Order: sequence, then structure tokens, then C-alpha cells
Amino acid sequence: MLLYAIKRLILGIITVWFIATATFLAMHAVPGDPLSGDKAMTAQIRQNLEKKYGLDKPIGEQYLIYLNNLAHGDLGISYTQKNREVNDIIRENFPISATLGIMAVVFAGIGGTLFGALTALYRNKWPDTVIMLAVILGISVPSFVFAAFSQLIIVKINTALGFSLLPVAGWGTVSHILVPSMVLGLGTMAYLTRLMRSSMLEIVSSDYIRTANAKGLAQTRIFTQHQIRNAILPLVTVLGPAIAAITTGSFVVELVFAIPGLGRYFVQAVQQLDYTVIMGTTVFFGAFLVLMVILVDLLYGFIDPRVRLN
Amino acid sequence: MTQNGSGETQPPLLEVNDLKVEFDTYGGTVQAVRGVSFSIEGGQTLAIVGESGCGKSVTVQTLMGLVPMPPGRLKSGTATLRGENILGQTQIGGKDFRGSEIGMIFQDPMTSLNPTMTIGRQIAETLEVHRGWSRKKSLARAVELLEMARIPEAAQRAKQYPFEFSGGMLQRAMIAMAIACEPAILIADEPTTALDVTIQAQVLDLMQDLQRDRGTAIILITHDLGVVARMADEVAVMYAGQIVERGSVDDIFYRPAHPYTVGLRAAMPSNNPAAEHRLLPIEGSPPDLFSPPVGCAYAARCPHAMRVCNTHDPAPFAVGKGHFGKCWLHHERVPGGAQRIVSAIAGATTGDVVQPASANQGDAR
Repeated sequence: MLLYAIKRLILGIITVWFIATATFLAMHAVPGDPLSGDKAMTAQIRQNLEKKYGLDKPIGEQYLIYLNNLAHGDLGISYTQKNREVNDIIRENFPISATLGIMAVVFAGIGGTLFGALTALYRNKWPDTVIMLAVILGISVPSFVFAAFSQLIIVKINTALGFSLLPVAGWGTVSHILVPSMVLGLGTMAYLTRLMRSSMLEIVSSDYIRTANAKGLAQTRIFTQHQIRNAILPLVTVLGPAIAAITTGSFVVELVFAIPGLGRYFVQAVQQLDYTVIMGTTVFFGAFLVLMVILVDLLYGFIDPRVRLN
Repeated sequence: MTQNGSGETQPPLLEVNDLKVEFDTYGGTVQAVRGVSFSIEGGQTLAIVGESGCGKSVTVQTLMGLVPMPPGRLKSGTATLRGENILGQTQIGGKDFRGSEIGMIFQDPMTSLNPTMTIGRQIAETLEVHRGWSRKKSLARAVELLEMARIPEAAQRAKQYPFEFSGGMLQRAMIAMAIACEPAILIADEPTTALDVTIQAQVLDLMQDLQRDRGTAIILITHDLGVVARMADEVAVMYAGQIVERGSVDDIFYRPAHPYTVGLRAAMPSNNPAAEHRLLPIEGSPPDLFSPPVGCAYAARCPHAMRVCNTHDPAPFAVGKGHFGKCWLHHERVPGGAQRIVSAIAGATTGDVVQPASANQGDAR
């Protein structure tokens, strides 16, 4: 098990290196650079700045410097924001994105398991039909639409009540997290619901559930002890990619809800071609996702004993 | 009906009467079980034999409340455990009789156990639920039960998962699970079909030993006549959702009263190397249970079919004590009919059946 974890970690580092290299090359392939902004500058100033940031060096050398810094955990200084290290930007803003993301994943996981189980228990009856209809909506409608709609609904409710029940946007209190995390987790929840439903249906008619019935166990016990754990396995498998989907989705949701998360900086940096910030956030997100996938795989081994030994 | 063995003073351990089960499908209604009656006493082994799709499993799974309804539907019939109704319900006096009064094991042990729960827990669970024992006490008992089921190093094995067991060991663990609460009846639904022959013997031996020690009644569902000969006291032969012949194991093997039984018997491979032997299949296929024939269900495949067989369903004819055959050949207006069935064996098999013709006369005394 430990050996497996180490092996996965090494593979993860290689993946992150690949991400870093690909981002580096892609970034330099884009026309323009961080210095070609709105303000026209003289050739002399430009040259000085390029020298300062090492942009005058050949690309191969830049790459090596970059990798070397990366290995030391130094992600560099922002080109466009005065005196801000990328590390600071991440340190300040990532916890916000992470809180939002974790809440969204928790929301999606619990909701998906619950609704999926519900649809399977009420198969072809009205709760099944209603939930599955909602699932199709949840999967096909993009999150920014839900974000805007939820804001509209909050405004309507607040005006109807005469006081502010939930904040429309912003960050700071628990009530600020609630709606954005739900919006963010919605798509994943819909997907997990569908997965849970089919997995439950398969297990309900399986031989070992028949055995559990033949042992005279109560339905609730069969559900909690025998069905859930087995039905949840496929969900755990997709949880890694699901976390990826949620984190990338958070860029948009953060923007709509005016949440000062890392996603906003990332989008801004891309628009301004702020090399170090793009690189830093991409590599950081990449590393984070790789770690999540590894953790999910280890968790999978914990839930399914058959994976543990192999 | 012809069954008259049930005593007036004490109801039989398990009695099933005129059980009819149907399934509603998109193609129509399948009449899977069409009037099955039998009873069993403690310590007895009743084998239910017949080919695939004849309703054996549906019969016992209905008794255990394992047939999903819908699509299944109970059309008629009664089933009583010591006089108490068990049909259409899973409880007697507020307690689930499944697992406590009737234990059951299934065909494929590989898929019949929960893959994410240890074997010990799965056995202990039954005790926790029915006896109200603590987790610890139940687990300790589970280890004892595994030992009883001849699982070596039972204490370690109890902590393992089903995928770490072999097929034969899993089936023995299943037996340990089914008998954990010392049920009065053990239903074994093709317990050895998925196992290879040497393992089969171990599993059957275990069942027999447990029966001897505890006086458990066994209902054994199988299509293997070798298993029947080894295990059964009583045999019920099923065809197209009905019991076509019922009798002692000797009756079935030496004095069969239904052409289908003879056909099954003849289809059994022989291991006599001297005999020039071909497998004799029963030609044709079982009737469509969406619309079963009006007459005898076996008529289309029966070498002795008469005109009446196609138009009228035969009643069970008593041919001996506790032995009946559901065949028109036993009717008084078919002289020598019974002999025709029996003589067919002599023709069909290689002669390892003794005194075929006189057997029936002996019964008629």
C-alpha cells in the first residue's frame, strides 16, 4: 500500500512537470508578452524591463531558470501587480477557492448519493421522474446560468422578505458560501446522481442482496450495510475528475459571485499575459488535482478491499 | 389431493399447497409455478429436480419472499411453517423467519456474498439480527461456525473478504451463514452447480453431517440426479411449473411413474465403460409458459402420448405409498400403462436397473 502510494506520487510529479512544460510552451507561443499592455513604452524602458525579468534571454534558458525556481518552490513575481509574489497570491486566495471547492464537492457527493439512492428506490415512480429530469437540466445547463439565476432568485426573496436573508455576492460569512458552492457543485451532483442510480439498480438485483434478504435482514440494514458501500464505488472512481471539474468551474462562479478566489486571478493573468501568475496558478492547480486524484485512488482502496491487495 | 401424509395432531414442518406464481412481462404473463404442493418433516431431505426453467427456484424463492412482486404475482396457494402462514409475508409473530427458521444457500457462492464485507461479519450479522447478540459474541460464534464448516484457520479466515476464498470454501461459508441460527429448514438452491466435482462432494458431505447432528430438514434443488441419489429421501420431479412425480428416492430411481422421470434417468450419463452408450436426450423443448398447453405439459415430448394427453391435464395418480405420478398411463382405462413407463427404462438404459416390470406390481399390493 505504501509502495503503491509512493509510486503514484512519483508519477504525479512527472505529470506536474509535464503540465508546467506544456504551459510554458503554450504561453510563449501566444503573441505578445506581459509588457505589451495599454501603455506604450519607449524601446529603452522596454529593454530594461525585459532585462529585469530575464525575458531577453533565449527561451531554452528561460525554461531552465523557470524549472529551477519551481523546484525550489519559487513561483516568481507578478509582472503586472506591483511587488506581489505569486506565492503570496496563492497563499491569500487559494484557501477561499479551496473552501468553496470542498463545500461544492461535499454538496455534490452527499446530494448525488442521496438523490441517486432515492431514484433507485422509487424507480419509475414520480420521485425518480422528477429527479432525473432535474439531473438532465443540471448536466446540460452551464454553471454561470445557474449562478445568475440563483442571484436573481436571492434578490427576489430578499425584496419580498424586506431584509437580506442571503447575500447576493461577496465573501466572508458562512451564508456567503452556501449558494455559490451549491451552484458550483450542481453539475457534478447531477452526474453523480445518475451514476449512483444505475449503480444502485445493479446492486439491488445482485446475488448478495438476495442473500441478505434470505438472511432476514431489515431493509434499512440491507441498505446501509450492503447496498450503499458497494453502490458508492463507481462514485469514488469519478470523484477525482469531479474535483477537477469543480475547481475549473470555480473560475466562472467566483467571477459571478465576486468571490476573491484564485480563479479570478488566473483568468485575469491570462488576459494580461502575466507569465509568472499563469504559470504559478496552472502548476499549482495541476499539482493540487494530481494530489486529489491520488488521494481518491487511495480512498478507493480503503473502501474496496479487492483493490487494497492488488 | 393425493398427499395424505399430513398428521391431524401436529402440522408438518413445512407444507406448501397449490402454489401458483406468475410473472407479468411485456410479452405477457408467464405462469412459472402452476400448482405445486409438497411437505417436509424435520431431518428429511426433499430433492426438487427438473430442467432449467421448470420453476424449481421460483417455488422456493417465493416461499422465502425473494421473488420481487411485481413483476411476480402470487396467484394462489398456501404455505405454512409449523401451521403458521409464511406466504406473502416474511415474518411470523413479528420476527423474520428467514435466516432464523429457514436458511438458504444459493447456486453461485462467488456472487452471493457481499464483496466489501468480511466473511465473519456476514455470518455474525445473522446472529446479531435474529438473536440480538453483541458484535463480539456473534463474531466469536461465526468463527466456530466456520470451523464447523471445515474452514481451516477459521479465526484468520473470518477476517478475510470473499475474493480471498475459493469457490468451495465460499459455499461452505455460505452454509455456515445459513445455519448460524440453527434453522429448522435449509434450502439449498443448486448448491453444487457452480463447483467442480471433488468440491461438490465436500459441500454435500457437510450438509449431510449437519443434518445428522441437528435434524435439519433440507430442501435440495438440483438437476443433478447423482446428487439426488446421494442426498435425498424424497424426490419431487418438476416439469413446466408442476410436480409431475413425487416419491421416495427408490421410487424415482427404480419405479418411476412418469415418462419425464424416465427421460431424465435415461439422459444421465453412465460411467460403465463396458456399455456402448450414447447420451439420450429428451427430444424437443419445454412448453411455452406464456400459454401452457391445456393437456399434459409433457405430451409434446412424451413417447407414450395418447389422444387424451393433449386435451386433458392428468390428475396425480397414486401408485404407491407417498408416491404419485401425474400421467394418464396410470388411469384404469389404460391397461398395462404403468408397465409401459417402467419398461421404457429397461430399453433406454443399459440394464443396470433391476427388476423393472415387477417393481410396479409390488407396489400395487
